[in-house]
Amino acid sequence: MITDSATTEIDDDQEIPVPPLRGRRGRQRARMNVNLTSLIDVTFLLLVYFMVATSMTGREQVYRMDLPSREGAGPSDPFTLDDEPLRILVSSSADEAQPYRLTIDGPYPQPATFQALHDFLRSKQVNEATSGGLFDSKHPIMIEPAAGTRWEHAIEAFNATVTARYSNVTFAAPG
Amino acid sequence: MHRARRHRERSGLEVNLTSLIDVTFLLIIFFVLVSKLNEVENVRLDLPSPQEPMTVLPDSKQQVVINVLPDNAGGASAYRVGVIDFPSNLAGQNAMKSHLAELYQANPGIEVNVRADRSTHYEHVEPVMRAVSLAARIAAGAGAPPASGMARINLVVLKER
Repeated sequence: MITDSATTEIDDDQEIPVPPLRGRRGRQRARMNVNLTSLIDVTFLLLVYFMVATSMTGREQVYRMDLPSREGAGPSDPFTLDDEPLRILVSSSADEAQPYRLTIDGPYPQPATFQALHDFLRSKQVNEATSGGLFDSKHPIMIEPAAGTRWEHAIEAFNATVTARYSNVTFAAPG
Repeated sequence: MHRARRHRERSGLEVNLTSLIDVTFLLIIFFVLVSKLNEVENVRLDLPSPQEPMTVLPDSKQQVVINVLPDNAGGASAYRVGVIDFPSNLAGQNAMKSHLAELYQANPGIEVNVRADRSTHYEHVEPVMRAVSLAARIAAGAGAPPASGMARINLVVLKER
């Protein structure tokens, strides 16, 4: 039985509050509640998306290379003999079986792969323990990609050289 | 007894989500801006990925990114330095060199990252290296040599995990 009072009596020991339909007390109790659940859902979806999308460059790394000055003569010591750089020629081809070709300038065995180039350079490096080898780790090495050489092959040759622990490696101007 | 029971029913636990939403929106704005910068500076390229590369992570200090934008025939359609595109012809290369020299003069310790597609031919990447070298020399002539005394360039590759 509904009465004008603010409570409804169901049992003797239970009272359930019933908001009155009008009046000053009703205006005080009415609260606006905005449901934020969907907002937070969308927000977190956006957050996860952008976090994943902006990690694209995480796998990018760099080779540091000091560029020689190719124009103009620089100061030099007249009493020192500059080492003749070891020239490594690289070229690309359309042959899928052998997409690149490596040539070491000089009377050396010619490597067929970048791994063979790495092994050759490593074996010819001066080793203080055995007092053997031809080139020390600062011997200048020049990589000369031919016209039309793909950048990936030039970089592979560069990588084979620096992983053989040579520090003075440069690229030549295209011929 | 009735009064205490009614009190327990009305007092619901409420978590204040305002600060959580504030922080979340700040993170979203940050990632939106960073991803926009990445799109401009790091063009989607098929970078070389050499086997067992002896590479290092790029420094977090100020860098200039040069993208060699590829065409379909192994050439370069343009060179993008930051957000500025330079044509790949001789005039564009000279303009890029002047721009790089200005950057070196403004900040001698700047590092230059070169990103090129793996299929781009070497003769279209080499002008970038030459432009960096010459720009460093121009800056050195103007009294602002690069911090290392020699132009240093970073060749960007993809390291597979």
